[in-house]
Amino acid sequence: MHRIIKRKLLRSARISSLYIIVAGIGFIIIFPMFFLFSFSFMSDYETYSEWPKPLVPSFRAEFMIDKDAEGYHLHIYNKADGAFAAFGPLFFTRAGEDLENLQKFIKRQANCAITPSGIGEQLDVVDKEGRVEFTLKKEFLANYILFFQVTRDAPAAVMRSLMVAGFTILISLSIGGMAGYAFARYYFKGKNLLKLSVLFVRMFPAVTIAIPMIIILARMGLADQPLGLSFVYSVGQISMNIWITASVFMAIPVSFEEAAMIFGTNRVGAFWHITLPLALPGLAACAMYSFIGSWNEVISAVVLTQFNPTFPVVVYKSLVGTQGQINLVTAGSVAQALPAIIFTLIIRKYILQMWGGVRV
Amino acid sequence: MASLNLQTILDKETRKKMIPYMLIAPVIIYYFLFWIFPVLNAIIESFKSIEGVWTLGNYIHIFKDPVFYRALLNTAFLVFFSVTIEFILAFGLALLINTKFKGSSFFLFLAMIPMALPAVAVGAMWSSGLATRGWMNSVLMTFKIVDDAGKIIFLAGGNIASMWLIILIDAWQVIPFVMIILLAGLQGIGAESREAGYIFGGTKFQVLRKITIPMLKPTITTAMILRIISAIQIWLIIVMLFGFNRIPVLLEQVVLNVDELGSDFFERIGMALSVIVALIVSAAAILYLKVSGSFEKEAEK
Amino acid sequence: MATLQLIDLAKRFTKKVWGVRKMDLEVADKEFIVLLGPSGCGKTTTMRMIAGLENVTRGTILLDDRDITDIAPRNRHVSMVFQNYAVWPHMTVFDNIAFSLKLAKLPHDVIKRRVRETADMVRIGELLKRLPGQLSGGQQQRVALARALAVKPKVFLLDEPLSNLDAKLRVNMRTEMKAIHQQTEATSIFVTHDQSEAMSMADRIVIMKDGKIVQIGTPDDVYFRSADMFVAGFIGTPPANFFKVLCSYDSGGIVLKHTHFKLEIDAEKYDKLKEYNRKEIILGVRPEDLLIASEDKAVFSEQILVIEPQGSHQVVALSFEGSIVKMVIPAGIKLNHGDKIGLDFNRERLHFFDKETEKRIILRQHLV
Repeated sequence: MHRIIKRKLLRSARISSLYIIVAGIGFIIIFPMFFLFSFSFMSDYETYSEWPKPLVPSFRAEFMIDKDAEGYHLHIYNKADGAFAAFGPLFFTRAGEDLENLQKFIKRQANCAITPSGIGEQLDVVDKEGRVEFTLKKEFLANYILFFQVTRDAPAAVMRSLMVAGFTILISLSIGGMAGYAFARYYFKGKNLLKLSVLFVRMFPAVTIAIPMIIILARMGLADQPLGLSFVYSVGQISMNIWITASVFMAIPVSFEEAAMIFGTNRVGAFWHITLPLALPGLAACAMYSFIGSWNEVISAVVLTQFNPTFPVVVYKSLVGTQGQINLVTAGSVAQALPAIIFTLIIRKYILQMWGGVRV
Repeated sequence: MASLNLQTILDKETRKKMIPYMLIAPVIIYYFLFWIFPVLNAIIESFKSIEGVWTLGNYIHIFKDPVFYRALLNTAFLVFFSVTIEFILAFGLALLINTKFKGSSFFLFLAMIPMALPAVAVGAMWSSGLATRGWMNSVLMTFKIVDDAGKIIFLAGGNIASMWLIILIDAWQVIPFVMIILLAGLQGIGAESREAGYIFGGTKFQVLRKITIPMLKPTITTAMILRIISAIQIWLIIVMLFGFNRIPVLLEQVVLNVDELGSDFFERIGMALSVIVALIVSAAAILYLKVSGSFEKEAEK
Repeated sequence: MATLQLIDLAKRFTKKVWGVRKMDLEVADKEFIVLLGPSGCGKTTTMRMIAGLENVTRGTILLDDRDITDIAPRNRHVSMVFQNYAVWPHMTVFDNIAFSLKLAKLPHDVIKRRVRETADMVRIGELLKRLPGQLSGGQQQRVALARALAVKPKVFLLDEPLSNLDAKLRVNMRTEMKAIHQQTEATSIFVTHDQSEAMSMADRIVIMKDGKIVQIGTPDDVYFRSADMFVAGFIGTPPANFFKVLCSYDSGGIVLKHTHFKLEIDAEKYDKLKEYNRKEIILGVRPEDLLIASEDKAVFSEQILVIEPQGSHQVVALSFEGSIVKMVIPAGIKLNHGDKIGLDFNRERLHFFDKETEKRIILRQHLV
C-alpha cells in the first residue's frame, strides 16, 4: 500500500512539473500575442493618454461634464490616474457646431458614439445640477473599421492579396504537384537536386530577384499586377509543394492505382479516379500552406508593386511610415494574421506529416 | 501532332521512362524562367556600372564601406546565437511534446500560431511592446515591478543588447518551426529503438546521446540548414523595430540599397551585396554539412 | 539462474481501460514460458511491465526474490527482443551487440570475445561490420537476438519476435531459438498470438484473455485439458468443435441429446455429468476425435462441404446446423465434396463445458 502511494506521488510530481513547464511555455507564446490583440481594440485615448497603458481594452468609457463661466468642460475618466482628466476642447457651448465637433472628437479619441442631441441632454443635467457623469459603450471594432477607412487602399489590397494567393495556389500546386507525384512514384535522374531546390531557391535574397523581375514582368505586361506577383511567389511555393505533395502521394499505396488499372482504366484514369480523391485533403492542406506563404509575404511585394499594393504592404507601410497609430496598426496586423492563423490550425496535422519524410 | 509522332517513334518502354521527366519538366522550365534567369541577371548586373561597363566597382564600393563590416559581424553574431539557442530550446520542446502528455496536441496547436503570424504582425506586436511607452513597460508598471522613472528603454540599448533582443524575438517566432521539424523526425524514429536503449543499460541521457540524436541526425541537419539560410536573411523585424542603418545586418543593407535608396547605382550595390549574401549562405550551409559530418566520423571511432 | 514471480500484477491505462487486470505467475529457473492470447489480451503489456517499460499500477514483480517493480529497466538484468527488432540503424552489427557491454564498461577484449561468441551462436559472425540497413529482415532478427543474448540476462524477453518473418523462416527460427534456449538455459518469456508457435516452443503456456490468465499449463494440458471453451476454441488447428446437448441420466446411463443426434456415454467414466441431469451442457470435440463410421454405427451423418488436403492429413469441413464442423482424417481416404459420410465420436476424449460459465466440467478421470 505504502508503495502505491509513493508511486502515485512520484507520478503526480512528474506530471505537475511537466505541466508547469508546458504552462510556462504556453504563457510565453500567448503573452505578446495577447497584447497585439488587446491593443487592436483600444481607443486613441487609452493608447496614448493613459499611462501605464491598460492591459485589456475597456468596453466603455466614462465622461464627466461640468461648467464654469467660460462654458462647459468635458472630462474623461483616466484609469491609470484614477481620476477624471480634461478631454477635448478647452470649453464649449451649446452651439450646434460645437456639439458636432464634440461628437466627432469623442468618436475619434474614445471610440464612443453619441449624438449632438445626446450631448445636449447631458448638458441639461449640467445646467440643473452643475455637473454630470455618464458612461458610453465603446464601439468595439472601431479600429478595424477605421483602419480600412483611413488606409485608403486597404479593402482593394485585401482583394488583390486574395487574387495573388489564388493564382499562387493554382500555379504552385499544379506544377509542384506534378513533380511531387513523379517524386512519389518514379525514379529519375536529378531527383536529389530537385529535392534540394527548396534550399537553393532560398539562398539568393528575394528582394534582389525582385529587381530583374520588374523588367521581366513588364515585358510580359504583368508589372504591378497580382498575377505577376504570384509568378514570383510561386518559385518558393513550388519547391515547398514538391515536398508536401510527394509525402501526400507516398502515403497512398501504389497498389490502389495498380488495382484500378487491372480493373480497366489507364494510369491517367487511375490517378483521376483513385489517387486524386484520396490525396484531396492533403492537397487542400498544401493549398492552404501556399496561401499562408503568399498572404504573409511582404518584401517582394514592396518592390514589385507600385499602385496596386497587397494587404501586407499596406500594413507594413502603415507601421514603417509615419502616419501609423499603433492601435490602428495592430488592428491591421490582426486582420492580416487571422486567415493565416486559421489555416495553419486547420492543416497542423499535415505540417507535421510533411516534415516526417524530410531528409537532406 | 508532336505527341502522335512521339508515339510512333518511341517504343512503349522508352515512353514509360519519359513519364517522370515529363512530370518534372514544368518545374524545371519554371525555375529557369522565374528563378535562374533573374538570379543570373542580378549577378551580371552586379558586375556592371551604371553606364553598362564591366566593372568590379560595386564590390569595391561595398568592401570599402565600414557599415558592411559591421553588418557582416552583426549577422554572424545573430546567426550563431539564434540558431544555437533556437535549436536547443526547440529540441527540448520536441522531446517534451513527444512524450504525448494529455493536452499535448493542444500545446502543439498553440505552438504553431507564432509560425503562422505574418512578419508584419510580429513587427507590430513587438514594436508596440518594446516602445518605451509600450505594453512591456505597462505590464511591469501595472504589477509594480518598476515605477515610471524606472521604465526600461528597450530599443535604445547598444549594439549587442539590441542584437540579443532581436535573437529573443526571432526565437519566439521560429522555435515552433524548428520544433515541428524535429518532432516529425522524432515520431519517425519509433519508441522501440529508445526502449531497447533503456533495456540494454542506457540512462535517459545516454539513450538521448547515443540513440535518439544519431538517429535524428538527417532531420537535425535539415532543420539547421533551413534555419541558417533564413537566419542569415533576417532583416524585417530589425527594420520594424530600429529602422534602417541602426543595427546593420547584411540583408537589411540589401533592402536599404534596393528599395529605400532605390536609384540605379544603389540597386547595383544591392545586387552585389546579394551575391555576397548568397555566397555566404552557401558557404555556411556547406560548412555546416562538413562540420556535422566530421563529428559523425569521430563518433564512429 | 533466475526465477521470476508476478504477484497480483495489474496495469490500468485510463480510468476505464485496463491493460492487465490481474496476473499471478511463477516462472521457474530455466523455464521457457509463452504468453499466448489474441491481440489486446494484455500479454505484451505484461512483458513490458517485466521489462520496466510500463509503469505498474498494482502488484509486485520479483526476480530472484528481489523486488524489481519500480527499478529502471537498465538495472533489472533483463533483456528483450522487440517485435520490430529495434536494431539501431546508425550502429554496425558489432556496436549493436556491444552496446550494453560498453555501457557496463567491460574491458575491450571481453566485449570483443562476448560479441563474437553470441554472433556465432546466432550465425551472423561474418556480418559484424555491416550496418543494419544492409541486412535482410531475418538477419536483423538475428542481430536483435544476439544483442539480447550478449547481456547474459537473468530473464530473456521475446515480444512476438517471429511475427515479421516469412512463413518458412519463422518455422526455422522456432527450432533455432528453442535450441539456443536449451544451450543458454536462460529463463525466457515469449509473447505470441500464434498458438502453434506457442505449442511447439513452450515449457508452459499462459493463455490470456481480457487482461486475465485463463489457463497456465504445459502444451498437453492446454490441448487435452482446456480450461474453458475459449481455450479449446483457440488452441489447435483447426480448433475444437462445440455442440449444445441436453444431458439426461437414468439407470441406463448418460444420454446426450442434440437436435440432430443422440449419444450414449459411459456413466462410470463421465460420472460427474450426473450433476447436470436435465441440463444443457456444451460438448467439445477435437477435429481428430471425429471419426468416419459406417452407416449403422454412425451417430449422425452429414454432407461434405469442403476438403482441405494438408499432405500428411486432410481437413474435412461439414456444414452442420448452419455452422461448420471440422474433422481431421488421415491422407489417403478418398472423399469428394458432396459425399455424405457417417460420423462417430472418440468417446475416450470428449470435453464438457458448463453452458453458463463456459468452464470445463472436470471429470473424474482427470483428477487421477
